[in-house]
Amino acid sequence: MNMKLTGYRKKELAWLYLFVAPPVLGFLIFGLTPMLFSIFISFQKWDMISSPTWVGFDNYTELFKDEKVFQSLFNTVYLMIGIPIGMAISLLLAILMNRSIKGIAFLRTMYYLPVISPIIAVSLLWQWILNQDYGLLNHLLWNWFGIKGPNWLGDADWVKPSLILIGLWGGVGGNMVLYLAGLQSVSSTYYEAAEIDGANGWQKFIRITLPLLSPIHFFVVVMGIIGAFQSFSQIYVLAVDGGPEYSGATIVYYIFQHAFKYFNMGFASAAAWLLGILIFIVTLIQFKFADRWVYQD
Amino acid sequence: MNKKLKLSGLALLITTVLASGCSDGGSVNSGDKNNSGNNQGSNQTSNVETSDKEPVTIEFMGHGNPNEKSIFEKLIASFEEKYPHVTVKYTSVPPGEYSQKLTTLISSGKAPDVFYVGGSEFYRFAEAGTVLNLQPYLDETELFDPDNVWKQALDRYRFDGAKVGAGDIYGLPKDVGPWAFVYNKDLFDAQNITPPSAVAGEWTWDDMLEAAKKLTIDSNGDGKPDQYGVAAYSLESAVWANGGNFIDYETGQVLVDQPAFYEAMQFVADLTNVHQVSPNTEAEQSMNGYTRFLNGQLAMFAMGPWDQPAFWELPFNWDIAAWPASPDTGETATWLGSMGFAISNKSKNPQEAFDLAAFLSLDEYGQRQNYELGQAVPNLIDMSKGEFLAVDKAPASRQVFLDIIEDYGRPDVPAFSKDTQWIDLFWQQASRVWNGEVTAQQFTAEIQPKMQELYDKFNK
Repeated sequence: MNMKLTGYRKKELAWLYLFVAPPVLGFLIFGLTPMLFSIFISFQKWDMISSPTWVGFDNYTELFKDEKVFQSLFNTVYLMIGIPIGMAISLLLAILMNRSIKGIAFLRTMYYLPVISPIIAVSLLWQWILNQDYGLLNHLLWNWFGIKGPNWLGDADWVKPSLILIGLWGGVGGNMVLYLAGLQSVSSTYYEAAEIDGANGWQKFIRITLPLLSPIHFFVVVMGIIGAFQSFSQIYVLAVDGGPEYSGATIVYYIFQHAFKYFNMGFASAAAWLLGILIFIVTLIQFKFADRWVYQD
Repeated sequence: MNKKLKLSGLALLITTVLASGCSDGGSVNSGDKNNSGNNQGSNQTSNVETSDKEPVTIEFMGHGNPNEKSIFEKLIASFEEKYPHVTVKYTSVPPGEYSQKLTTLISSGKAPDVFYVGGSEFYRFAEAGTVLNLQPYLDETELFDPDNVWKQALDRYRFDGAKVGAGDIYGLPKDVGPWAFVYNKDLFDAQNITPPSAVAGEWTWDDMLEAAKKLTIDSNGDGKPDQYGVAAYSLESAVWANGGNFIDYETGQVLVDQPAFYEAMQFVADLTNVHQVSPNTEAEQSMNGYTRFLNGQLAMFAMGPWDQPAFWELPFNWDIAAWPASPDTGETATWLGSMGFAISNKSKNPQEAFDLAAFLSLDEYGQRQNYELGQAVPNLIDMSKGEFLAVDKAPASRQVFLDIIEDYGRPDVPAFSKDTQWIDLFWQQASRVWNGEVTAQQFTAEIQPKMQELYDKFNK
């Protein structure tokens, strides 16, 4: 180590730094700096056009006084009902797709398609599908089942179920692919052993497949909760101004409104940090309890 | 050799990125210096005729529909002809993104020279010193006669250091938007009902309700009307006509819990819930009032001058009228919107920027284009009262637009508050009254303290 670097080594090091530089600089400039700045600004009152003034913890205490914070947090947590439902559907799809029949690649692509579709375009399509009077969904409900469909996006009680429905449609494909990979990595020896012991299909599924997929369950739950906390785009399109009586607004939508509609940047930054801390704690708890139910080979 | 070349190329790329980042940070200072230098320069040269002026570029940002954009492109072309040393860089942003984009540009020191401002935005910008005081330029200019511009529009862009509405002028009106009451004349004729009067105070809420009842028709018998009497009745109009108010901007007192307010609000809600002459929330969701009116399935509605091009295409006769008067007061009222041109305080060429704003706001050719294409009522008083009134196109009662401007139009509610959360909260929660869940009296009593708190917190 005390050796002086030879010219060749030096050159190699220069290359190293050069190749490492773009992502590191990118993170420093567009990631870390804004983050640090937002901590700083969360203690200020700032409307982006006049100079900021120091207000201490005021923004944070104001947060806890605003009932809209709690309402949007409640809405956000409500939307997480979609996570277990989505997991069940994804797993079911993955099992169905985990066989070699003709055209399976096509089917897998079909289910994955929503994942790569632009979310705004998809939301606009759903807006049309969910229209009370001439929407596709209510037409089907009426023609096939004789049910008079609700006012999906216009009724304060139905906005959140609608959003969950849309989330499911867009989300199951991605998780299906993960489960598919998981299913294919489960060794067939377990099943053979179980068969010798006389296990039936259901028992094999419950005792072998499900536990061995637990790392994937874990990943899906963690990412799902983080994703739900951060959901925004579909709300922006489908629940204008937070939807009827603010029933569709999520916490990120609340932050967005304060940042880019009312230009209370300090307050919005404080709310964003509250959200960040919340996600951090929830994820930490999940990791803490992970070894109780996640099997690692 | 090859390797070295690649290496130096990469290094060059990185240094340029870094360097451009640095120069961005430093440009504020040098910009300021330039600014003051140019200021003096343009003052000195303003008497000299065009030819030997240094070429300048003015950035102009706005929003609007394709119609508006093409009008502005033409206007800018004729401006550049008149001022050969000025090049205008015009950007039109989608309206939904406009406010975000503008504020970001301003906060990063890259504000366009000339840009649109609306009510509460103008207040914030004026207070923060973002927009230039135009009074000195206005006093000097020979381009137009300020007395020939609607005072009601100009006054929106006054700021006295604390409040909007008085003091020096910081913006020029792009337009004045009188919100008028419109009706389908054919539907009235079909039922043999006398249509509403164009004269304020002659036609009351009672007259409207009576007409609306006759005009609400369920022709296929499915229990849902296929033709409604009235839709989207303006709450502002009802409240103001009734002698009420949303807020007293002098004292900062939110007044929605006063009887004059909630009685008017109840009247509007009852049109739907009691009399069923106006589509309820569900019906409005499935087909909004605008579409119903275009389809000839709605007798009375509201419109701004910018709706004219679409309405000119309609196969039925329509006209505008004075908003119905409250029977209690005999008065009527409605809101008068406005959008303006402001100039950035950081503009390096304020004189040219002002010339552009004045040209766009008040040039006769542009104003004529604007009303001929059905975008607005002219900002120039003589043109409005002259050729605009004489146009042989619907609406026949064009005078109503001018009556609203001169007589009973008021600034829209948020125009004089820099933060609009208090009124946004009201509209967000008002659905509970519109769908009949609570009475207007209960609702306003409940929401007034919350609105007051929000107003006090962000506007005082």
